[in-house]
Amino acid sequence: MARKPSDYQSDIWNDWCPGCGDFGIVAAMYRAFSELDLPPEKTVIVSGIGCSGKTPHFVKVNGVHTLHGRAIPFATGIKLANPELTVIVNGGDGDLLGIGVGHFVALGRRNIDLTIILHNNTVYGLTKGQASPTLRRGLRPKALPKPNIQDAVNPVSLALASGFTFVARGYSMMTEHLKELIKEAIQHKGAALIDVLQPCVTYDNIHTVEYYKKRVYKLEDTGWNPKVEKIEEKEEKIVKAWMKSQEYDDKIPIGVFYQDPHTPSFEERIKERIPSYLETPPARQKIEREGKTIIDSEAFRKIFSYYIVETE
Amino acid sequence: MFNRLSIIIGGPQGAGLETSAQILTYSLAYLRYGVISDREYFSNIKGRHSYVHFNISSEQIPTSLTYPVQLIAALDHETVFTHFDSLEEGGVITYDVFTEEKTLDTTPSMEEDLKIRLRKIFKELGIDGSIKSLVRYISEDKKIHSVPLNYSEIINEAAKKLVLPASQAARYVSSIIIGAVSGLTNVKKKAIEYSLARRFYDRPELAQQNKVIVETVYDKVVREHGPILELAPSKLNHREMMIVSGNDIVAMAKTVGGVRFQSYYPITPAADESFTIESYEKLEVDGLEIGSILVLQTEDEIAAITSAIGAALTGARASTSTSGPGFSLMVEGLGWAGMNEAPVVITYYQRGGPSTGLPTRGSQSDLLFTLYASHGEFPRIVLASGDHLEAFYDAIEAFNLAERYQTPVIHLLDKFLANSIVTLPVPDLSNINIDRGLIIHNGGADYKRFNLSTTISPRAFIGSNCIMWYTGDEHNELGHIDEDPENREKMYRKRMEKIKIADEEIPEEKRLTYYGPEDADVLLVGWGFVKGVALDALKTLAVKGIRTAYLHIRMFSPFPSKSVEKLLERFDKSKVITVEHNYLAQAGKAILINTGVRITKEVVKYTGRPIYLNELVDGVLKILKGEDRVVLTYGP
Repeated sequence: MARKPSDYQSDIWNDWCPGCGDFGIVAAMYRAFSELDLPPEKTVIVSGIGCSGKTPHFVKVNGVHTLHGRAIPFATGIKLANPELTVIVNGGDGDLLGIGVGHFVALGRRNIDLTIILHNNTVYGLTKGQASPTLRRGLRPKALPKPNIQDAVNPVSLALASGFTFVARGYSMMTEHLKELIKEAIQHKGAALIDVLQPCVTYDNIHTVEYYKKRVYKLEDTGWNPKVEKIEEKEEKIVKAWMKSQEYDDKIPIGVFYQDPHTPSFEERIKERIPSYLETPPARQKIEREGKTIIDSEAFRKIFSYYIVETE
Repeated sequence: MFNRLSIIIGGPQGAGLETSAQILTYSLAYLRYGVISDREYFSNIKGRHSYVHFNISSEQIPTSLTYPVQLIAALDHETVFTHFDSLEEGGVITYDVFTEEKTLDTTPSMEEDLKIRLRKIFKELGIDGSIKSLVRYISEDKKIHSVPLNYSEIINEAAKKLVLPASQAARYVSSIIIGAVSGLTNVKKKAIEYSLARRFYDRPELAQQNKVIVETVYDKVVREHGPILELAPSKLNHREMMIVSGNDIVAMAKTVGGVRFQSYYPITPAADESFTIESYEKLEVDGLEIGSILVLQTEDEIAAITSAIGAALTGARASTSTSGPGFSLMVEGLGWAGMNEAPVVITYYQRGGPSTGLPTRGSQSDLLFTLYASHGEFPRIVLASGDHLEAFYDAIEAFNLAERYQTPVIHLLDKFLANSIVTLPVPDLSNINIDRGLIIHNGGADYKRFNLSTTISPRAFIGSNCIMWYTGDEHNELGHIDEDPENREKMYRKRMEKIKIADEEIPEEKRLTYYGPEDADVLLVGWGFVKGVALDALKTLAVKGIRTAYLHIRMFSPFPSKSVEKLLERFDKSKVITVEHNYLAQAGKAILINTGVRITKEVVKYTGRPIYLNELVDGVLKILKGEDRVVLTYGP
């Protein structure tokens, strides 16, 4: 029998502020996982620090709650060592686009089959409301002593520029829509970003539910086709998606901006070099035989013959 | 005939000196000589002065470098200026006659400090400072035998023989060095031919072209000067020798030890290790794959350690390799591994710090840093290898310890070891064990990663049949955040007590070695690359009637406190000397912290160059005459 959404709910009391947008994200995850029937023991949620960092504790799959900004490289190691796992990163805007932005860009370059769910609320919630990298210049959410004088980074534009092959935006209050995005992102073979607009009810008095309600619209309702059908279309599609990502004032598009199924994933690139990689990845290799190394003296001499000189 | 020779070959970085050194080393190994060589270079790709300092022996595998040297082979005039002073009386210098008119003023690549020192010396000697005047002076005053060679003539001659444009033949100029050194020391041509063929196995025409230059010089030198520095036939009888750098041997050890995920960010002097592992990513024996290793070049060292930890959580043996600046970035990740009892290995090649420091020079100034790095308290195992063979076994053991005690392991090495190339018998693999620690393959529904019923909890891999949580927060048995004071106390103690178990289980004799007579009067205490030179110093001091022993520390955490304390008690305090490549005498501090015994005598060096036998012996003699601290500075 397929797993129900509630099967993915852990016993841990969720201590996010009542009304927090993050609830919508975990709810969408439970449902997406259930519809994909993901085996919990083969699924891993990796997070960084902050409110979003607690996500793994609320989900009954493997959870790795890591360091501030470092969820992506931890997830990289987990996924590459055992590519049969479904690995989903949950991180905040400060986490993924501030302290950890270098890893975000590097993930795009590699196109590893990871799903990144960006909890985008424009503030650092857990430290009491400082400006995050997605807060636009001139804005002053209530905790800020002065208006923000740093420009915002646009997660969708940055993901496109970095090489992500699935780039989407969701809204945490539209869980049915978000659930579909999560499913698509997980099924996509490559680096997938979902930028999730997520109101911080405690510290962000600007980007409220009412704010988004007025602005958010679905790309798919406009006939948008995000998919690079043929590799020749890649440039045209990415330019269009990038231009679309700049739309962020009166109207905010959600949905899939861009999807490129042609660029090989990192796992495929490794397989090119090590054909056995997917069958026997690092985590599934036997490295000893009855407590002894599988490389005995004879094998050692053969493997490292380059370094051995037979004397005169 | 010589049983032992010290040689320097020098030239501008990027001119092929490393290849020449490699070919000479292959040739010497082929003839069964024992060789150790150290490469000194600037952080530079082309043009700055670099040199290789060899110690060759027909009687043993040498473990240290020493001055003065018997031969300097100079590819350029900067080499002559930099090293002429290192020649033994009666030694030999070979150089390019074309450079005879060169002076310090026409040597822009040279650092001003050395020029100032040399100008003063030249003035005192009353010479004009040209290469010609300098060679004349050392020939007369120090009875140095000079072997001037006309490099361009040699190249032109070879170009003609090979029917090559002179510009192309000029690329093989470093082969002149091979020819000169092998001719003067009577290394057989057959050995050089073997080495060239080996080095250029995939490009036989290069072997042939270089061979012509080598033989031209060889014949010329023998004809005009004779084999002045003829090496005695080797008394060693190895049928095979490995020729490896420290980076190479650690790479090999990791493959034997079962590394399956290695991450790194490029840094000197660690990166070559990862390159070597990557070139063996498919482990094949007789065309059959017996394993594979994923080597990941990351965007920074933070990603290097965190991805390695991630891989370790899935059950792959995982490591990263770095140097000081990289480790500084890894420190937060190290703490996460400590908190989450994750077995990750960090191979740490120390170089001169702080900050960028001396990026291509050696140092041992990060011992205390590795022992205490990262906030909070957690156990870590710190190993330090003294030579290539120790590095081989330690690199394997590092994985065993990491998995057995579910804790990060730092394997300390240094630039000296990383870049020194030695001849080495093929290591014995029969006693190597792979200990994966307490692993549970069938965790099931009730699995608790941090089960408190044992100090070391059975470890399941992510991806096995159970689920688990990890967090950098204090956590409960399941791995969920838990700030309860009683839970905190239990979990904290559980982690910390692992080092106590390690301390009880790992025999202290594996963590230190005492070398020398039981009834020695003087005790040298050291670690890392000091080992080789200390062992040679024991012999030299014994000849002088000073019975000296060396205490080599190989593991700093858990520290072999009982043995060290007991050993130190046996010696007169004024005759216990720490010998270290740092300013603070850090191992001495570690001994003080762990045993309460303060060592008051120290011989230290922090110029970035290795400790040489001659200066160490002098330093020990000075201490025995009453000095408390001797700072060594020898070596250009």
